[in-house]
Amino acid sequence: MNSDSIDYRILELIKKDSNISNNEISKIIGVPENEIAARIRNFSDTRPKILIVDDEMDSLLPLKRSLERENYKVVEAYNGQEGLRKAAAEIPDIILLDLMMPGMDGYEVCNRLKKETALKNTQIIMLTAKDEVGDKVRGLDLGADDYVTKPFNLSELKARIKTALRRTRNL
Amino acid sequence: MRLRSEIILFFLLISVIPLSIVAYISYDHSREAISDSVMATLLGATENTGNAIDNWMGARKNDIRVVSQSKVVVCIDKKQLHEYFGSFQNEYRGVYREFFILDLNGSIIFSTLDRKGNAGSEQYFKEAANGKLFVSDPYLSESSSSSEMIIANPVKNNGTITGILAARVSLENLYRIIENIDIGKSGEVFIVNKDGNIVFNKNRSMILLLNIDNNYAVKEVTYEKNGIGEYVNYKGEKVLGSYYWLPLYRWGLIVEEKIDEAYSGVLTLGQLMVTVSILAVICVVFLALVISRRLTEPIKSLENGALGLVKGDFKPIPVSSTNEIGRLTEIFNQTATELLFMRKKLEDRIELANIDLEEKNRELTQANDELKKLDEMKSEFISLVSHELKTPLSTIKVSAEYLESDDKADPVERKEILRIIIRNIDRQTRMINEILDLSKMQAGKMEFQIENVDIGETVKVVLENIGRLALKKNIAISLDIPESLPDVLADKEKLIIVLNNLAGNALKFTPDGGRIVISAKDLGDSVEVRMKDTGIGIEKEKLEKIFDKFYQVDGTSRRKIGGCGLGLSIASGIIRAHGSEIQVESEPGSGSIFSFRLKKA
Repeated sequence: MNSDSIDYRILELIKKDSNISNNEISKIIGVPENEIAARIRNFSDTRPKILIVDDEMDSLLPLKRSLERENYKVVEAYNGQEGLRKAAAEIPDIILLDLMMPGMDGYEVCNRLKKETALKNTQIIMLTAKDEVGDKVRGLDLGADDYVTKPFNLSELKARIKTALRRTRNL
Repeated sequence: MRLRSEIILFFLLISVIPLSIVAYISYDHSREAISDSVMATLLGATENTGNAIDNWMGARKNDIRVVSQSKVVVCIDKKQLHEYFGSFQNEYRGVYREFFILDLNGSIIFSTLDRKGNAGSEQYFKEAANGKLFVSDPYLSESSSSSEMIIANPVKNNGTITGILAARVSLENLYRIIENIDIGKSGEVFIVNKDGNIVFNKNRSMILLLNIDNNYAVKEVTYEKNGIGEYVNYKGEKVLGSYYWLPLYRWGLIVEEKIDEAYSGVLTLGQLMVTVSILAVICVVFLALVISRRLTEPIKSLENGALGLVKGDFKPIPVSSTNEIGRLTEIFNQTATELLFMRKKLEDRIELANIDLEEKNRELTQANDELKKLDEMKSEFISLVSHELKTPLSTIKVSAEYLESDDKADPVERKEILRIIIRNIDRQTRMINEILDLSKMQAGKMEFQIENVDIGETVKVVLENIGRLALKKNIAISLDIPESLPDVLADKEKLIIVLNNLAGNALKFTPDGGRIVISAKDLGDSVEVRMKDTGIGIEKEKLEKIFDKFYQVDGTSRRKIGGCGLGLSIASGIIRAHGSEIQVESEPGSGSIFSFRLKKA
């Protein structure tokens, strides 16, 4: 977590004075009170965090709902740029990465994510309709931890997510 | 071996061998003949010399016999004796040196030189006293140290020996006679006595002073043999000599000639023969050279010509004769010319064929490249299509699984998920239809139902289809279609597909807030439909390709609206089936105009 990030500063204030109110924090940092509340709720949330990067809004929604019901915290991004930004901000445990996206494609996103030291514990699962061996090898070469082809079984995807989490958190 | 060398060798063999044999035989024969003649000459000389000696000695013996019987001698009248012998000596000048008469005791009772003395012990006295004519061996006289001899004969008076007449005879006269006998220019005459001492030789200094019994002829003759032979004489020279024993005087007569000179004729003949032979050989070689040259030169030319023909550097060979070789050369020239002509023709043909082949090869390569490109595009297309088909399928599946597992879901959420399912099924259906349309069109199986179609109405249908998306992107679509526009002949459903695709593309490539104008115009026999947008436009080099199957100007742009890049291809195919073409004008950055014409009803 970045030392000058808002979350870090909020955390420092709470450490100094455990009885400090949201209103007081809001005044010190200069961020609206409701956001402070959301942020505190957020970093006190210990559920595993999954970032889904996919330009298909239609496929994103049902997947998000399914994973939330499994007690995961789900963050979504609709293109590569947004995915990178959210990954840096949220440090998710798992990233579900679609390959075919306009602009920056999944390979490029994966390549850049792997260069972020803050994300070294993050597992990347590639999620795509491309199912040729070459595509899979290319994805795994770039540092992806797993590769799931569309259309997939929801139960299978969940199992793979659990396995990936076991690798990072030793659950 | 080369032909020329063979010919020369052949000529040499057939000329030199017989020539050598003939030369040798004739040399041998000539040598024998010359040898015979040399021997005959020697023998003749020997005989002549022998005869001369006999004659001379006979004359001397006769002289003494006659003198010894003359009255003057018998009577021994000293005064008359001087006169008598004086005239006799004058007559034979130099032959008789002295006449003297001995009594029976051997005392000299008369001498023309008035010499006194006794010769009773001398052999000539004893022999003559016995009544015989005796000729002594030659000896050197005391006074003149030249050779002489004594001839003695008894003087008889009425049959009784009363005394002895003796004469000292100089041999000088005989020597001169012998010297005058022709014995050849290198011939030499020797006379030896029984002991081998020289009695006569032209070198007077040797007479009676040199013994030469060490050589073959002298040995033979002193054994009283006659003959002829080759040997080495006392001077160490090789000679041919004839020897003859004269028993009356106990002399050996030898006539010698040096072998070299005796056979000089043979030598000359041999040299002549060798010279002639060498000349003949030179002539033969020269002749052989000339003939072989004449024979081989044209053959050599032929060979060179043939080599040249093989190497492709043929020049006609000059024909120098009318014989077989000349004829052969002519035929060769003709054949070579024909061959070259045919070769040229063949080469030309091959070159033409090569050019043709190259051309075809180029065409094939080009076709192959095009095919490869098409294949690549096809692969890319299939990959794209499978992805596009799987994406909605995946969405549908996740959505359905979610609904299936969740019994107590929020009804609003349920509805939302169901709408997602329906939307993706529609999308899938659209895509499948597009693909099917294209494959039908490619197989030529698309059926057209031509009817009268109102363009305005059709465009309205299309507007309904795309209106929502246009609204979402905030793109204004305006129509410019006259009310009075006549119907056109077309398949309405297909025309809708065309307009849908063109409008879809226009929306796809026009940024938010842009404009699209759909217009139609009566051109007399046909109606022109135009679709103008303010989109990103198309670069010139890509204009040709946009109607190709599977081609997409930018693969990623597609995602904004979906589609496989088949829209333009399908539209183009449909319009072509109506007997027309879709025209496109575009400027990158300022938009594109797609237009087509349809026949009026």
